[in-house]
Amino acid sequence: MVRRKLFIFIFALCAVALFAEPDTLYNRFQIEEVEVTARALTKDVIIPQTLKGAELQRLNALSVADALRYFSGVQLKDYGGVGGIKTINVRSMGSQHTAVYYNGVQLGNAQNGQVDLGRFSLDNMEQIQLFNGQKSDIFQSAREFGSAGNVYLTTRKPYFKTGERVHAHAQMRFGSFALANPNIGVDVKLTDALSLTLDAEYVYSDGKYPFRYKRVLPTGETAYDTTAVRQNGDINAVRTELGLHHYYRTTGFWRLHAYNYWSERGIPGAIVNNVWRNGERLRDRNTFVQGEWQDEWFNRWSTRVLVKYANDYTHYWNYDDRLLPSNNEYLQQEVYLSFANKVQIFNWWDASLAYDYQFNTLARENLLLEAAPEHFNRHSHWLSAATAFNVKEYLRVQASVLMTQITNHQSPITNPKITPGIFVSFRPYPKIDLSLNAFYKQSYRYPTFNDLYYTDLGNANLRPELARQHSVSLDYRIQNSVFSIQTSASYYYNRVTDKIIAYPKGQQFRWTMLNLGTVKINGVDAKADLSFYLPLRFVLRTRLNYTYQTAIDITNPNDTYYGHQIPYIPWHSGSVVVGLDWTSKRGDHYGLNYSFIYVGERYCQQENTIYNYVQPWYTHDLSVYGEWQLRAEQDKQPVWLKANIEINNLLGQDYEVIQNYPMPKTNVRCTLAVRY
Amino acid sequence: MHISRKILVFALCSLLLWSCRGDEVIYPTIGTHVTDLTGKGGLYILCEGNMGSNKARLDYMNLEKGDYYSNWYGAQNPNQLKELGDVGNDVQQHGGRLYAVINCSHKVEVMDIQARHIGQVEISNCRYMAFHGDKLYVSAYVGSVANPELLGSVYEVDTATLQITREVKVGHQPDELCVIGDQLYVVNSGGYLVNQYDSTISVVDLHSFQEVRRISVGLNPTRLRKDDHNQLWVCCQGNYKDVKPQVVVLKNEQIVHRIEMPCANISVCGSTVGILDGENKALCSFSTADYKSLSTLSLSTYEHPYGLLLTEDALYITDAKNYVSSGVLHCYSLTGQECWTAKTGDIPGHLCLVTGAYDLHGDTTHHDTTATYSPYINRVYEFVPGMGQFVNELPKYEEGDDAESMCRKCEKAIANNAGGMISLGGWGGYVTFGFDHAVENKEGRDLQILGNAFYMTGSDEYGSSEPGIVLVSQDTNGNGLPDDTWYELKGCLYDDPQTEHNHAVTYTREGDTLQNPFHKHPYYPQWLTADEYTLNGALLPPQSAKINNQNVQRILDFGYVDNKPNTDLEGTSFDLSWAVDASGQPVTLEKVDFIRVYCAVDEILPQTGELSTEVAGAIDLHIEP
Repeated sequence: MVRRKLFIFIFALCAVALFAEPDTLYNRFQIEEVEVTARALTKDVIIPQTLKGAELQRLNALSVADALRYFSGVQLKDYGGVGGIKTINVRSMGSQHTAVYYNGVQLGNAQNGQVDLGRFSLDNMEQIQLFNGQKSDIFQSAREFGSAGNVYLTTRKPYFKTGERVHAHAQMRFGSFALANPNIGVDVKLTDALSLTLDAEYVYSDGKYPFRYKRVLPTGETAYDTTAVRQNGDINAVRTELGLHHYYRTTGFWRLHAYNYWSERGIPGAIVNNVWRNGERLRDRNTFVQGEWQDEWFNRWSTRVLVKYANDYTHYWNYDDRLLPSNNEYLQQEVYLSFANKVQIFNWWDASLAYDYQFNTLARENLLLEAAPEHFNRHSHWLSAATAFNVKEYLRVQASVLMTQITNHQSPITNPKITPGIFVSFRPYPKIDLSLNAFYKQSYRYPTFNDLYYTDLGNANLRPELARQHSVSLDYRIQNSVFSIQTSASYYYNRVTDKIIAYPKGQQFRWTMLNLGTVKINGVDAKADLSFYLPLRFVLRTRLNYTYQTAIDITNPNDTYYGHQIPYIPWHSGSVVVGLDWTSKRGDHYGLNYSFIYVGERYCQQENTIYNYVQPWYTHDLSVYGEWQLRAEQDKQPVWLKANIEINNLLGQDYEVIQNYPMPKTNVRCTLAVRY
Repeated sequence: MHISRKILVFALCSLLLWSCRGDEVIYPTIGTHVTDLTGKGGLYILCEGNMGSNKARLDYMNLEKGDYYSNWYGAQNPNQLKELGDVGNDVQQHGGRLYAVINCSHKVEVMDIQARHIGQVEISNCRYMAFHGDKLYVSAYVGSVANPELLGSVYEVDTATLQITREVKVGHQPDELCVIGDQLYVVNSGGYLVNQYDSTISVVDLHSFQEVRRISVGLNPTRLRKDDHNQLWVCCQGNYKDVKPQVVVLKNEQIVHRIEMPCANISVCGSTVGILDGENKALCSFSTADYKSLSTLSLSTYEHPYGLLLTEDALYITDAKNYVSSGVLHCYSLTGQECWTAKTGDIPGHLCLVTGAYDLHGDTTHHDTTATYSPYINRVYEFVPGMGQFVNELPKYEEGDDAESMCRKCEKAIANNAGGMISLGGWGGYVTFGFDHAVENKEGRDLQILGNAFYMTGSDEYGSSEPGIVLVSQDTNGNGLPDDTWYELKGCLYDDPQTEHNHAVTYTREGDTLQNPFHKHPYYPQWLTADEYTLNGALLPPQSAKINNQNVQRILDFGYVDNKPNTDLEGTSFDLSWAVDASGQPVTLEKVDFIRVYCAVDEILPQTGELSTEVAGAIDLHIEP
């Protein structure tokens, strides 16, 4: 009886949420009365790629984007330098099919759908995970069922040993291109249950890196060879974060996270004939506050509530006197609420139901034309139902269905879209961690405000873009005192239809957005993480990744690029990371890390002609670090000193990830950190 | 361990599949034979390329052989840093040169007629060009000084020096422009000011270079062409909403006709105006006399009709497809029959017909990046004869000719082994010419210059000799123009005490009274606008004698043009090692770009008139014909 009443209560809440104004909703979620405990299914149905803790810190990576290069199936778009935009594309479906979650809540950019991962520093990051399809646990917000690829970023959580009340760290990083990057953080245990974390970081770089363009004649003679310095790539950025964590019960907690990022930077632009400097500037501020509350009742019922308010300001202007000036301001706001419930029906069967609501606004103002600001808004509702069950120890199944209703300002109201997903994991031998995993999932990428309302280009009648994913993989894990191995090989077939592309209208150079493209993607990912625990406290760690994919345009057989690989998707790509760690008897750590990243040949435009061909690029990076325990007395909190030197692009390859955006040659970073 | 080894083997195998990075080779030029139907001359196709892609591409079609060359400019200029540039916006020829506006590279690229780089003019956000005399006018979306009203400018460029001489501020985002009389007309599109489009034409007086008035034509005018009745055809794009596009015809600055239709492009040939309707995909032709519709050619198979050129014997129309992949060039007969098509670069937008039909060396179906050089001169830069009996005759002056067109006539006579001849007239008259390459100073004689000298029958000492002195110069300032230091090639009379080294003669229009009975026409160069001009140089001592009642001259030993017969290779050829500077000191020149010959004698003979050097071409002796 109790259970049925609870169900009714939950459904009622959902119904209210569907029709209520956001303000009133916020208040309703303050309720704290139910109590359920549910046990999660222990093994993953979807095995993520993970980088965390020390492994993450060992990589030659400054930002989250740099770290994601070490995942298979991922293509990074990098415009170069500390301030250059960096986005990722998972399994060739397009960067807007990849959702990025920051401590469990999606980072949004309703304007262009792109999240610049170069802005997220690794210094405060505890873990980065990439899930193809969706997260393994069905206890998630409704929206999380909605994207094709999911990147979860988890920031540092405080851990206190008995008797510890304060942790602090201070770090300074210097590097090429005048990089200065101080970072400080404090964790304070306020009460036994309540703790606070603070983290602040400043980044400066003048972005003036040398780059070289050399071309030869077919005879091998030099046609031209010039070295110049990248201009207008400077950046000033400040990030501050505040976290409050309250674990009031073993099953219940709430967390509050406030984030503020401010930056001003130059947009270095494309290097083309006779243009070696551009004048576009960007100033932005991203602020959000998010709260999470989770608890369990009756050992069977879990509830999670997420709330978020985000306020993002962007100011873009151009002082290049060779171009017509521009000066635009954008203000985006987002209110987000999520209410998720999971119930354990039997100990082999879970079900979940979640409802999310989001409200987005965008105000755009052209400061030059002195026109009135334009306003756009969007209401989004997501309702998800998911279930997961085990058949003995052999089979795990997860199935979900998501209903999405997005109403854009000025756009026709469309019927809700329903997208299913089914995930199966089969383990033939209970004692061996070998599994065959497969999934099928549909997901929509909804048009952004730019797609819909970009001046003279937007098309308010756009339909969402549909991605259908099919994937099978074989995963194997083994661990003992001598080594640990985790390997995986996957094959996937994706099809993206109704792809939103810019298409010219009849008149000259006037474009519009249309649902025109179809792309067929076939790929193979293979990866292996190997660790060997050697004598004399040496550990050898190796991480190998390889991806082969074809992503071909099959929109229209009459197109000259029909059947061609889509832009910037290499056939081959991969990485190798080898690290050797040693721990002294005293407990100090030393390490050497080498990484190699390879991105094969690809084309920069739809048509695969020799004029659009882009050569492979590959970089060798090296880093060494030492970590010393300065105060090693018993029952005193230790103090650690850490030094790290990274050399990137060791052989100084002159390469471009995006054509006409040269990347830095060899560059160095040094980090010195004290941790208490 | 077993499985991990397998994985390692797999990883190593996949490593082998990867390819390595090699040297970045310049973009190739690809020649393709597209048709056996042949026309005359050649056609340049400027493909715009998308902004930021640096993919502006100049292609060339040899209409006489039916061969299409993609990236022709790349083959001609393999050393050009970052290629042609970003977003090509206009291509035109003028005075034997080719000019291309590269919008986002902020330059006008100046090339010889075979698209070899000569120089560039830096103009920010330049859009379109018009020529008048020796001046180039370029519209640009921004002026040299930023202004809050966002007004654009028109620049005047001296084609001789490639320097900007004047600038005038016009309306918003000026696009196409043209000159009628001494007025320049430019459309102000306001294309960047969405919902606030401009709708005017600015009229600029070329004397004062001031905007004298605005003519209101219609919203968002982008194209402007002049027809055979000096009428202006203006394409107004409207606001893409309620104000429809239209074509407006102006005569004497008054609107005389309107045609309600979209206009993606426009081209004028003779008394026909072709308008490309991009929306309904058709080419509509109109008569310039009565604006009546002449014919309509359906282009329904096109994705986006974009470029257009009407010529006297064919119609060229391009399809820009989806603007981010290669386009197609279509050629039609005048009756609208499709003759052939060729695949172009991205966004083929601008077409320019030239009289020359050129090839790249080698099999045209293969890549090739170096053109072979011609041993013959290909270019006449200057032609200033001294007053004389053959002036205005060799080459023939016609009403309307100017210095530039006289140079073209000289080229017709003596360039590219044409076999003709020009006369330098009286003392000091000169011609300046060059090759499609620099002449190298190698062992022995480097250069042969042809004249019309001959020996008197039975004599090896006397004959018809009208010696001209040779000057050479290097293009040290790199502007492609003969405005650098000149060095004299020292002939046998250089050190003769009777040679007068700093001689000067001023010819005046008033003094044109020398006519002899055989040449009853003005002796003063009629294309010169000034009423007098002064020539400088060295004057050789007189060599004339009367032998057997014939007026003959002593043939000089070496070092002069038109002194020995052309059959005498050594007697008509020159060594660049002979070069001396103004003070007579020898100079070492590795190669020379310009050659000048001037008439070095001042004698008037009875019956045959004055002695005047004739030039019949020149040959680089280091290049096989």
